[in-house]
Amino acid sequence: MFHDQPDIAPAPAKALFAAAEAAMRAIPPAFPLDATVAVNPFLGQTGEDLAQAAARLARVAGVRLTRNRADYAAMIATGEITASDLAAALAACPHPGKPAHGTALTALAHQDQPTPQALPTIADLAARATGTDWPAIIRRCLGLWAAGHFDRGQALWTPAPGSSAFAAWREWATHDLTPELAGLTGFCRHVANCPDTPGRALLRAAAALDLTAEAAETAFHRLLTDLGGWAQHARWLQWQAELAGDGDGTLADLLAIRLVWEEALLAHVPAVAPAWAEVLAAHAQPVTPDADLVADTILQQAAEMAYQRGLDTVLGGADTATSGDRPLLQAAFCIDVRSEPFRRALENQDTGIGTLGFAGFFGLPVEHRPAASDLTEARLPVLLPPRLRSSVPLPPAQDRQRRIATRSARALGRFRQAAVSSFAFVESAGPLYALKLLRDTLGLGRAHGTDPAPAFTPALSVDVKAATAAQVLKAMSLTKGHARLVLLIGHGATLHNNPHHSAYHCGACGGHPGDVSARLLAGLLNDPETRAGLPAHGIDLPADTLFLAGLHDTVTDRVTLYADSAGRDHEADIRRARDWLDRAGRQVRLERAARLPGASAASLSARARNWAEIRPEWGLAGCAAFVAAPRAVTACGNLKGRAFLHSYDWRADRDFATLELILTAPVVVASWISLQYYGSAVAPTLFGGGDKLIHNVTAGIGVVEGNGGTLRTGLPWQAVHDGERLAHAPLRLSVLVEAPRHAIAEVLARHEEVRALFDNGWLTLFALERGRITARWHRGSGWDEAGLARAA
Amino acid sequence: MPLSSLAPAVLLAAAAIALLRPGRRPQLIPLIAEGTALAALALCLAGAARFAFLGVGQGGGHDGSLVRLDVVTALVAPTVAFIGWVVVRYSRTYMDGTTREGWFHALMLMVLGLVLLQVQAGSLALLVPALAAIGLVLRQLLLFFPDRAPARRAATKFTLVWGAGDVALIMATGLLWLAYGTMDIATIEAAARLAPLPPAAEGAAGLLVLAALLKTAAFPLHGWLTEVMEAPTPVSALLHAGIINSGGLLLIRLAWLVQASPGGMAALVMLGGFTALFGALVMLTQSAVKTALAWSTVAQMGFMLLQCGLGLWPVAMLHLLAHSLYKAHAFLSSGGAIRAVQATRRPGPVATPGVGAVIRAFGLALALYSLAAVGFTLLAGPKSPQALALGLILVSGVAYLVAQGLADAAPRALTQRTLVASTAVTLSYFGLQALAVHAAGGTLPAPPVAGALEWALIGLTVTSFCGVAVAQALFPHWAHHPAAAGLRVHIANGFYLNAALDRLIGGFRTVRS
Repeated sequence: MFHDQPDIAPAPAKALFAAAEAAMRAIPPAFPLDATVAVNPFLGQTGEDLAQAAARLARVAGVRLTRNRADYAAMIATGEITASDLAAALAACPHPGKPAHGTALTALAHQDQPTPQALPTIADLAARATGTDWPAIIRRCLGLWAAGHFDRGQALWTPAPGSSAFAAWREWATHDLTPELAGLTGFCRHVANCPDTPGRALLRAAAALDLTAEAAETAFHRLLTDLGGWAQHARWLQWQAELAGDGDGTLADLLAIRLVWEEALLAHVPAVAPAWAEVLAAHAQPVTPDADLVADTILQQAAEMAYQRGLDTVLGGADTATSGDRPLLQAAFCIDVRSEPFRRALENQDTGIGTLGFAGFFGLPVEHRPAASDLTEARLPVLLPPRLRSSVPLPPAQDRQRRIATRSARALGRFRQAAVSSFAFVESAGPLYALKLLRDTLGLGRAHGTDPAPAFTPALSVDVKAATAAQVLKAMSLTKGHARLVLLIGHGATLHNNPHHSAYHCGACGGHPGDVSARLLAGLLNDPETRAGLPAHGIDLPADTLFLAGLHDTVTDRVTLYADSAGRDHEADIRRARDWLDRAGRQVRLERAARLPGASAASLSARARNWAEIRPEWGLAGCAAFVAAPRAVTACGNLKGRAFLHSYDWRADRDFATLELILTAPVVVASWISLQYYGSAVAPTLFGGGDKLIHNVTAGIGVVEGNGGTLRTGLPWQAVHDGERLAHAPLRLSVLVEAPRHAIAEVLARHEEVRALFDNGWLTLFALERGRITARWHRGSGWDEAGLARAA
Repeated sequence: MPLSSLAPAVLLAAAAIALLRPGRRPQLIPLIAEGTALAALALCLAGAARFAFLGVGQGGGHDGSLVRLDVVTALVAPTVAFIGWVVVRYSRTYMDGTTREGWFHALMLMVLGLVLLQVQAGSLALLVPALAAIGLVLRQLLLFFPDRAPARRAATKFTLVWGAGDVALIMATGLLWLAYGTMDIATIEAAARLAPLPPAAEGAAGLLVLAALLKTAAFPLHGWLTEVMEAPTPVSALLHAGIINSGGLLLIRLAWLVQASPGGMAALVMLGGFTALFGALVMLTQSAVKTALAWSTVAQMGFMLLQCGLGLWPVAMLHLLAHSLYKAHAFLSSGGAIRAVQATRRPGPVATPGVGAVIRAFGLALALYSLAAVGFTLLAGPKSPQALALGLILVSGVAYLVAQGLADAAPRALTQRTLVASTAVTLSYFGLQALAVHAAGGTLPAPPVAGALEWALIGLTVTSFCGVAVAQALFPHWAHHPAAAGLRVHIANGFYLNAALDRLIGGFRTVRS
């Protein structure tokens, strides 16, 4: 947002600000890599469908939002996509320019689609006119400035804090001689003379560029995509500010900065004016997909329908009524797709084992302060603001000791980094690095101790304890039939030397491992005060039920159990559970190793310790479905680690409050994950994190490729591609919910933004009845039974 | 022939095998590559062991004309081979599934073999072509992503500077041939040791210094080194830990010749010292981990050249080895930078030492230095003024560590820990230097007797380094002052030397492809 936007402005200025606002909303936020979570890269385009978004992003970024036609043609040839899939996808397409019939569509699948070209910026036009690579120079200059401005402590000498991005950049750019050396004489003066607030700078540049309100939105969007990850980082700052009920002007600053460049280049190369006028005319045209883009999206939809067809046969219907026997063990896992194989394997160990799925923060929106740390971690889905606080209750002496240790290490680090002392460091400590090299190359010495159990700070009152516990148990559909031992298993990944480490952790825990949330909930549910208050909320927990937290390491498939408050009575139960978990882990490792290039079940643990490993595991690659239903619906099929499984029993959900929660929170988070993988796989240049081989960690927040330049966000190529083929089949998520259709429709009616995801095809919604797909959601018409393409 | 001289041949043979499968997932090639690198390490260790047990006392211990085994080889070759093994092993995992995986392994083995050849070369007839070949192979590695314009730009700069260094070397070789009628390094060294340099040899020494400056990325042509992050991480590790050493090694190999040229020595002190301070300052402002590491290499190589210029040859060799190990680890583990930054932020703000604390820190460091210097003088004999000057530079660095512990806000336990660390650093520094001097024996010349020129250079060096050290200790008090903002911009841009070079070679132009 532009903080300096005047309250009373002439209409054209207002329209320009509105266009800028819209362009900024079109940019997805990128979370810094210390705690990164998946973000829907099409967050700004959920109000339109894939074809429309494809047309928009083709214009502003020159990317395609679907796979190569050859991929679809191959799927048609192998019969993976059938003629009926094509026909159904064609019929469902609302665009007028679609192929007349299935044969025409198939023919198109065999033609190469044209590569879209982004509309040029003035920098592009100036490069063509002068032969000087202005876009690259801008990336380089802005990249160097932005890396310093957003630096969280990587460089020892960062710019003075406290300035807005625009003010800081003006200060920088009036001194930076690089543009002048590259030939843009007078740029420092140009910057010094430009208005000192972003809004006025934008208006002045817009006037110089002849930007009209009609052309401005995509023209601004074009410039913002040019800034790549820096714009997305600024959008994240805005996201965080808005979550706290505030605003942030950094993204507006970046737009203004980029416009100042355009203004200067137009003045430098006035000859591009006629070409620029044509570009503006193109920007002023409404965004509409052409026939090729429409055909691409129909083919993509056909591929999704093919998957959905298979899904229906896997589910195959089930009796969702629960049996009367008390289970031997219950284990709640995160809905993360990596839990599905593990749950399947664990259930295989004994018929008395039941598993359920729930978002890995276990319903506790906590801001957690780790031991000996001033930094807090928001261990909750990024859609929510934290409402509870927790910390690790270390004895003060121990806390101080740890802080001294980290501070000494930091002092040595600064000694290593600082100008003159770096020479002394190398000559005195350099030879020690031979040992470090040996240790790291052989993957030795990595054991970490376990912290004491976290606790709520301040402690919860008796009433809040019971109310929170009851709320979570209801949301988990875990209100009756408890086993003697109930495991609450979060997940995290052990890996080393990977800038994207947090991307492998639990998204529902804000890119952190799930141990803290699981241990907090286990502690809460075992608390006698909680137990005493639960009956008042209609939940009767057996006195002999023990909740035990655990952490599933998704690289090694080992589960650590935290026997924080376990008594003697449960020793045998815990021993048996550990045994089952070990055996399940072995089974999962076999299954997972088959998917990872060069891996064997035995080598997975070594991957976690290997500092050179760039494919430690596949993360959520492959994710394609979300099922909210009792486990019985999915228990008999193999979903191959591609499905988010959320336990949900609508019969126990009287006012459908849990259904509303599922559709508005976990489903949205899952859609972000699925679409991030989708975007990183189909448009890696715009939404992918680049090549891990040349990643250069920058500013403590992200990576650039090679020497510097634009921050790269999204998933690295190696996270979606195994070297030979995509490891993630880009499919938009299919959401299957076992609940009365009217109840689902009512929830959607109340939540416009969630409904838009379904209406515009970013997600596909199916209603289940007794484990069979019975209806599909369509924009406008709502539930449709006839349109189901059921396998014959 | 020592066993270590077989290492290059083994590596080059394995490279040839790797070339048979240049593509993705080349079956056994990565395994063969690591096995060969390990074998090369074993051979180099065997060579070093032979030198340690038999070599001393054979008057420098050289073996035949083409390869040579002396203390320098015995130390440098195993270090390079060790880093080579670590890097090749890393690449085995890291490069898995890349399009030109086999080609990558072939090039890495090739460049490693050539570096080991260059390290052991006993004759310029072998050394100079080996260096030129390293340039050719490294260029291919820098162009591993040939579609990236910055990669092509970096490769162009590298080839220009490295090639210029090769030309200087060829001319130097020619002049040495004129002067001494030989290309054998030991013969040239012996001649330079005994008699004043003839004019041709004087010119050769100057050209050698020039070649070393070019090949160690010294100011003002350092730009190529700060841009080579366009190649995969293992290339950076090997380049910064192995290949970049060749310039310094060249000087150390021909130390007697170089030291006989006071002009060359003065150039090394001035350009090396300036590069060291310049690179270290720029490094402070870099927010990208590999870029900061590259600037650090520029600085460290400058410092090593300064040590050569002061005649502290064994110390320069120690610096090369220590820096190689440190920098290889730093590059290979650079993916952990996100966590590292987070870890530094956890314990809260850094305690800033005030002016008083800084003065006390320098006093303490000086006391520590005096004690250590006296102690080591008693143990290992008197020190040259050059060595004492270098020690002063170290002390001003250690003062920074002490100052952090003396900051008012720092708890007592932290003060104690930093003092212990400072003592350990000082002792380790003097201990390692004494070891290096002892190991070098008579192979490398002692520092020249300080005349007026030497004293002036020593004074200049000590004042400038100590000045920067004081500024660095007081850094938080001025770094964010508005008056420093403009300076920071120029420093972050490396004073635009790279941009100027870009302009000269057309690096700003669009590339027609």
